[in-house]
Amino acid sequence: MADDASNMAEKLAQLRFQYAGRIQDRIAELETLIAGLNGEDASGRNGVLELLRDAAHKLAGSGATFGFPGVTTVSRNIEHLCVAVLEGRDSSENLMERLRNMCAHLYDAAEVQEAAEPRPTSDAPRPAAPHLHGSSRQTILFIMEYDEAVKTRVLREMDHFGFETRFIDHPAKLHDHVKNYGPVSAIVTGLDFDGEDEAALKPLQAFRDDDANGETSIVVQTHVDTMQARLGAVRVGAKAFLVKPVDMADLVDVLDQVIHGVDDDPFRVLVIDDDESLARHTEVVLQSAGMETQVITDAMDLFEAVESFSPELILLDLYMPGCDGQEIAAILRQKEEYAGIPIVFLSGESDKDKQLLAMELGGDDFLTKPIRASHLISSVRIRASRFRELRSFMVRDSMTGLFNHTTTKQLLETEIARTTRSGGKLSLAALDIDHFKSVNDTYGHAVGDRVIKALARLLRQRLRSADVIGRMGGEEFAAILPDSGVDEAEQVFNAIRQAFEDIVFRSDRTSFNVTLSCGVAAFPMYDTATTLSDAADKALYAAKHAGRNRVVKVD
Amino acid sequence: MTQTELSKILYVEDDPDIQVIAQMALETVGGYATKVCSSGQEAITEGGAFEPDLILLDVMMPEMDGPTTLVNLRKVPGLEKTPAVFMTAKVMPSDIERYKGLGAVDVIAKPFDPMTLAARIQEIWGHCHGG
Repeated sequence: MADDASNMAEKLAQLRFQYAGRIQDRIAELETLIAGLNGEDASGRNGVLELLRDAAHKLAGSGATFGFPGVTTVSRNIEHLCVAVLEGRDSSENLMERLRNMCAHLYDAAEVQEAAEPRPTSDAPRPAAPHLHGSSRQTILFIMEYDEAVKTRVLREMDHFGFETRFIDHPAKLHDHVKNYGPVSAIVTGLDFDGEDEAALKPLQAFRDDDANGETSIVVQTHVDTMQARLGAVRVGAKAFLVKPVDMADLVDVLDQVIHGVDDDPFRVLVIDDDESLARHTEVVLQSAGMETQVITDAMDLFEAVESFSPELILLDLYMPGCDGQEIAAILRQKEEYAGIPIVFLSGESDKDKQLLAMELGGDDFLTKPIRASHLISSVRIRASRFRELRSFMVRDSMTGLFNHTTTKQLLETEIARTTRSGGKLSLAALDIDHFKSVNDTYGHAVGDRVIKALARLLRQRLRSADVIGRMGGEEFAAILPDSGVDEAEQVFNAIRQAFEDIVFRSDRTSFNVTLSCGVAAFPMYDTATTLSDAADKALYAAKHAGRNRVVKVD
Repeated sequence: MTQTELSKILYVEDDPDIQVIAQMALETVGGYATKVCSSGQEAITEGGAFEPDLILLDVMMPEMDGPTTLVNLRKVPGLEKTPAVFMTAKVMPSDIERYKGLGAVDVIAKPFDPMTLAARIQEIWGHCHGG
């Protein structure tokens, strides 16, 4: 098994390349089928749709295996649409046009992955962020509930938090819904239906037995608070048990915790090895596990790479000409800002004494080559995720998980420097919750905290992953939007302001709404961190002064 | 005493892309000897002689689909009780029920991760043998 890892990596890269080359043809085949729908009568149409369904199904089943998850997603949508039309659940209005659009998306999905293959060099402009704010972060949610009033409220509010919600009025229909819509992230369910306290448990158990991968989280929301009900919930694998009336902000909090893998950024791994081909193998293996990598073959490039790539783990060869791995580890450990980055040696050295010596100088782990791809991936993942967690305590606000004041300020400097170099756009928003003190005074700090968390959640939901969101203290927030001008930012925050206004908070027996004010300013009108944040603060002040619950921009 | 080491896998899949990557995942990562058949018919004709420890079947195949193939493989001497696993891009609860009814021990969702496929198979194998 000596060459397992490198073999596999090499072949995998090759297969991906070949598959990428064939994807275009596959999509063209779909397009030909779609064109064939033209002029067919109902039975002819169904025949074509069946072929299209099967072809899309096949593509869905292979895309992500070859590193094209987008291809899988879009193909699955095409498959679902075909099935819906075939089963008469879709009016088939504009069917060809819709299918053609989906094919266009499919080409995009195949392109995106291919374009992502070459590694960005340190001075290349950052790839543009996806154009729509908050467009890609929908999670699907089933709400099982018979109460119409609850239904309306939940549907409206969950939408603000970016959940695509579907409603089921009876547990007997759960099975069909899952069948029609495919996998869901979570099911929020009541327990009593038809006057029976735990009527939902049996269908839920059947669902759980079928949910082979355990991808769906179950959250129980009920007024039946008995040991029996709680035990029943645990047995169907419910991850949370909430007693009605349930505050929507609490529910969203719980959903955030139980829905896994919502937006995990890939780990960034820096590979330092003087043998370029070995380094590339390592890279392919790590990339196949969804990590981002950068390779340097000359130790002299170290600082520049660490600075621009901010790795969460460094994989280091022990023996290199000029400057060896131990020395590099020692250098990194002497610089305070890099001291925490995990360093893992990857070397053919099997002498335990020499391995330990290398660790003394700053290594965290020692992996001996050759190593199985799966071992390498898990070692790296474990260390990098621990580092990310520890680091988050330093740079993030503990209540909301947003960046803290210091970090946000630093990031603003970084973003301005980057934008100055690239000549792009950048805007900054300062936000403040209106009359927050009176929320705290009237409903207590626990409720106040919920309001703050709800806004944090909403911002994370509506902004892109490239945007920086910070909690600046108390009820003040800031957001840095790269690649966005002042008008776009104004639009985005107006939508957020409206969504926030619609959230109903609950305290004892009353419910209430909260609003926010926001000021927006942009680069290059203000081209330093200080002038830009002053301008945003002034605009925020103007918004407050003009009566609150509004967004004011400086232009 | 039943045999507890998984070494030979009979794999039935019509899509050549998936065939290649799955075979590599099973052989290179998992170290299993893998025989690939491109159709149900081929598996029925040639599968018995291979004496697999486990059968891995794609569900949706033209001509003879995975479930039908399994029903027929059960009539082949030596394969009456070989653990079978389905692979499918359409993991519907009701379908899983049906596949298990046909004697499948588990279902693997497509698209699969080539780096972890072997581990998943090994895990299923462990369950089959009370591990």
